[in-house]
Amino acid sequence: MSTAMNFGSKSFQPRPPDKGSFPLDHFGECKSFKEKFMKCLRDNNFENTLCRNESKEYLECRMERQLMAQEPLEKLGFGDLIDGKSDKN
Amino acid sequence: MGGLWPPAWRRVVFCGWPWSHVGRPTRAAERAEPCLRPGRSGPAGTEQGLRRLGAWRRPSPAEQPLRRPKSTNPYTRSQEEDWRRRNKTVLTYVAAAAVGMLGASYAAVPLYRLYCQTTGLGGSAAAGHASDQIENMVPVKDRIIKITFNADVHASLQWNFRPQQTEIYVVPGETALAFYKAKNPTDKPVIGISTYNVVPFEAGQYFNKIQCFCFEEQRLNPQEEVDMPVFFYIDPEFAEDPRMVNVDLITLSYTFFEAKEGHKLPLPGYSSNHQLSPPSNL
Repeated sequence: MSTAMNFGSKSFQPRPPDKGSFPLDHFGECKSFKEKFMKCLRDNNFENTLCRNESKEYLECRMERQLMAQEPLEKLGFGDLIDGKSDKN
Repeated sequence: MGGLWPPAWRRVVFCGWPWSHVGRPTRAAERAEPCLRPGRSGPAGTEQGLRRLGAWRRPSPAEQPLRRPKSTNPYTRSQEEDWRRRNKTVLTYVAAAAVGMLGASYAAVPLYRLYCQTTGLGGSAAAGHASDQIENMVPVKDRIIKITFNADVHASLQWNFRPQQTEIYVVPGETALAFYKAKNPTDKPVIGISTYNVVPFEAGQYFNKIQCFCFEEQRLNPQEEVDMPVFFYIDPEFAEDPRMVNVDLITLSYTFFEAKEGHKLPLPGYSSNHQLSPPSNL
């Protein structure tokens, strides 16, 4: 949905997400995990690499509460976090 | 040349034969001499010439069959037939080319779609873009990209919609999570639907969303506030693209619109084999 009407320039094509849309967390069931994640981001200068554990926990919370389709964590890119938290770098 | 022209034409032509023409006029001119006689010039002369002209009229179709060769000379007649045949073949070729062009213009749409899908040009989703890729992708740790977030609302939608972090630093090949927050300050439930935009456009094809809150209706009850996560990653091939060498900042921009009840928006993208997983609850 780009508005750049230049002839010949590539315009942006939005793509639907791979796994669809997140259902809304109306009851705030995973809010605490989200707060933890946001705090981690703020402490680490918004570096995602250092807060991947927290994001994994948030997604696990969602999956437990049926707010997200169950997926093995490797498929979500958290393969390295499952086995050992040691190589979190 | 004499054979081509019917006699009356010859007279009209040679009427204009100038007196001062070098060299004796030919026998045809002498035959045409009657028109040079006095009384044959001026307006009266022209009329008589025209009348003579009128004596020769185009053979009507009733008198003889259509497409009779115009000449009586056998040599030129065969030549004329030859030309006619060639004209016919050329006409056939031209007509075939016109029909071919029309057909090609109709075929171009699905063919171009196919081409875009196979080459992945224009940011369209490449087939075979599966979750196996996520499993096996290796983060490119030395390439740090800053992602900034932007949130917009359409004028008719009264939600408060904003990102919960202004920026986040990711590397290609690593999945990342980001949050937006939306609040419905009105007293009525409102349904919104959103779309997104990634700037720069070329980087947009590397921006893959695993799951987000876009393109599906999201309903907010009165005075309700929710967190909206976006789970995404940048394709590791981003680091190998020479055009992306100078790209260090990607901006993700979401815009919410108000959705009307019962409206079903078509999903963007051409491929119809992109199935959305239905929400597991609600």
